[in-house]
This record gives sequence, C-alpha cells and structure tokens, in this order.
Amino acid sequence: MGTRNSWQVQKSVIYALFLREVNVRFSAGKLGYFWVIFEPLLQVFIFVAVKVMLFGTTSSLDYPVFITLGFVGFNFFRHVVDQSMGAFAANKGLYAYKQVKPIDTIISRVLVEFLVTSIIVFIFVLFGSYFGFDMNVQNLGILLLSFIWLALFAIGFGLFTAVLSTFYDSLKKVIKLILSPLMFVSAVFYAMQDMPQGLQDLIYYNPLAHFMELLHSSYFFILNDDFVDYTYMLLWTIIPLYIGLWSYSRLEKRIISL
Amino acid sequence: MIELQNVSKFFTTNKGRHYILKDANFTIPSGKNIGILGRNGAGKSTIMKMLGQIEFPNEGRIVSDKSFSWVMGVGGGFQGNMTGRANVKFVCRIYGQNKQKIDDAINFVKEFSELDDYFEMPIKTYSSGMRSRLTFGLSLAFDFDYLLIDETLSVGDARFKKKSKEALLKKIERCNVLLVSHDMGTLREICDAGIVVDNGKMSYYEDIEDAIKEYAEINKRAK
Repeated sequence: MGTRNSWQVQKSVIYALFLREVNVRFSAGKLGYFWVIFEPLLQVFIFVAVKVMLFGTTSSLDYPVFITLGFVGFNFFRHVVDQSMGAFAANKGLYAYKQVKPIDTIISRVLVEFLVTSIIVFIFVLFGSYFGFDMNVQNLGILLLSFIWLALFAIGFGLFTAVLSTFYDSLKKVIKLILSPLMFVSAVFYAMQDMPQGLQDLIYYNPLAHFMELLHSSYFFILNDDFVDYTYMLLWTIIPLYIGLWSYSRLEKRIISL
Repeated sequence: MIELQNVSKFFTTNKGRHYILKDANFTIPSGKNIGILGRNGAGKSTIMKMLGQIEFPNEGRIVSDKSFSWVMGVGGGFQGNMTGRANVKFVCRIYGQNKQKIDDAINFVKEFSELDDYFEMPIKTYSSGMRSRLTFGLSLAFDFDYLLIDETLSVGDARFKKKSKEALLKKIERCNVLLVSHDMGTLREICDAGIVVDNGKMSYYEDIEDAIKEYAEINKRAK
C-alpha cells in the first residue's frame, strides 16, 4: 500500500474531503440545496428592490446585472475566507489519518466554493436570459482573469487568517466582525465613480473595492478601471499568500497535533 | 524495523518541559508483536501517535520502511457529523481505493461492527463501544505492516471482545501489532515482546513476561 507518491495521496485526500464537504453543505437541514442557491438570489432581489424604491431606475446600466456580478464576486471572497478560517478546526478529527494535512481541508473547501459559485452563476444567467436582461460582456477574457485573480486574493487571505487564527483566536472574531459590513465599503452594489470624493478616498484603501471595480469595468462598456490600482491589488495578493504559505509550512505539525 | 534516531519528545508545562522521550536511540525489531507498557502519562499514546505520524518528535526522527495503520483508540479518527458509512467511505478514499474495494470494505465493516441501523447514523450518536467497534472493523479491512492499537480491545461487551480478539489473532498472522494496554491478559495473549516507557526512557524486552515484571516493579516503586 505504500506505493503511491505524495501527490497521488494528496489528490485522493482532497477528493475525499471535497465529496464530504459537498455532502455537508448541500444537506444542512432538509433545505440544503434550496438555500445554497436561493440565498444569493434573494440577496440580489432585495438590493435591487431597495435601490429602485429609493432612487428609481435612472441608472444608465442594467442595475440588476451590475449588482449580481458584485455579489457573486463578493460572496465568493467572503465564503472562501470564512470557510478557510473554520477548516482546520472542523476537520480536526480527520488528522488521525496521516494522509490528511490541514491545508487539504482548505483546498477542498475552496473547490466546493468554486462549484457553488458556478452553479449560482449558471442560474443567474438562466434567469437573466429568461427575463431579457442585457448581459453582454465587454471583455470576457479580462472578466475571467479578474475572477481568477480575486480567487487568488481570497485563497491567500483565507490561508493567512486560517493559520494565524489557529493560534490567535481573537483574530477569527475580528475577521468575522469585519466580513459582514465589508460589503458596504467594497463597491459591490455601486460604482466608485458615483460616490462623493470623501467616500472614494476612504474606500480606495479597501483592496476588495479594487477587485469589484475591476470585475465591473471588464463587464460593462460604460465603466472604466480608473479606480483600479493594479499594484495595490498585487501586493494584497502576494503578501498574505506568501505569509500564509510560509507560516503554514512552519506550523503544519503543530496544527495537526493541536 | 523501526528506528528511533536521537528522538526527543516533550510537552511544555507550567513547570517547564515534561519529557516523554529524551534523546532516545532505539530499534524496534521487525516481525514481533509488541506490547507497550507504562504508567498513566508516561507517554505510551504519544509514542503510538508518533509511529502513526500524527504527532512529531521535537528532535530527531523515526525511520521505518513499514506501513502503519492509524492509531486505533477509543476516541479519535472519526468526524462526528458523518455517518458510519460515510466515514468508512472517506477512509477508503484517502487510501485511494476504487469503487469495488470501497463497497467491499463497507459491507465488511457493516457486518463486523454489528452496528445495524446505527451504521447510517452520525457518529456523534454512537456510544464509545460502538465507535471502537467501527474503528476496529475498519482497520481490519485494510492491509498494513503494523496495526497501532491503543486500548481499543478493552471496549464492548464480552462477546464482542472475544470476537474482536479472534479477528485480531487471525489478522496478525499476516501483520504485526503494536499494542498499548493495561490489561496483562490481552498483552500476554497477543504480544511476544514488550516495551516499557518510564521517565523519558524506553526499554525493550525480548519476552513480554519480562516487560510485565518490570512494569510491576515500576508500579511498586511508585507507591
């Protein structure tokens, strides 16, 4: 039985964890499938309704599409970070098998998040075409690349917080506290160009806002990437990922035997 | 052969380092069923975990070309919100087994563990006896060079104890066992040789009887 190389072992561990996570996620209560899909639909619906009631429908772009894109991106980030932070502790019992390394639990959870997001996007696209929304993408290639970049940012940040919060429990609480209101300062459901100057300057510090602007500007013809600072995004991607991987590799054994 | 090279293992307590092993150089010979004895807290379970590679020496290394099972203990190794079946499937998958083998393992474990309906229930609803029946059955479904057993045999009712002992005796015709136990009867029945862990040292005894004698001495001294 000792003939498999380490990559084959890790592959089968990630596969096993992935199936397990899918199972857990889609069966949380009897309505697992329902909520995974309808929660984001409901979220978008509420925000669109509020926007229309407060400001009317004067915006020159298709607001429901704009807001859907924002939420898909933001929710992906939020879920990846949230799931990563919980991954080490939630799978503690499985480290009894030497094949299972803590980082595998994060990888499998990120893969589940990709699956869930793909399903949601698919349903949104079905919905959109049925109701005749204008879903033309300005630059699909850039849009996909932006999403992959966002994913890298989320994974790096998630790993970073997962490792550190294992040893500093209060970090987990702080991040959880930040994640919910973060939506309001991340250019998810508005464009930076429509904000007053003072607010723009403030939100500009939030790396996630740059990612949202990039997603939106690659999708819509009338938006540009004036508010996207690529260097800033790059730093926020590389530094947490590097610190996360470095500290994980040093602390892996301690996480296992915790 | 299992070789411990300059192995130190300690836990940090309020009063400083508590050593389980201190700079141990030790060779455990192959082809023997070995009982590990020691007083509570001497570090028997930690040594088992180090052999199962889920606990790691602070210094030195453990070298072996043999394959080890996971540590079969009363508590660990299962995820509470998964059913017995899902746990068996999970373990089969991490060992890279195909569908046919997974089905065989499920059938075997289900029958051996006698869990019946509980096999489809989350592990957190199990009693500790049921858990160890599952973990023991599962370990029998795989082939290892060494089985690592931490007290599991002492759980369950008399009939199941007898059954699992018989299954284990049959299993160790093809593999070896490292067994932590406080039950001298079990140790005599299954093990040829013994290791006594005391005060940061391991001592090997060719004959399990000698190990048991030494262990009794240690207990006497402690009083």
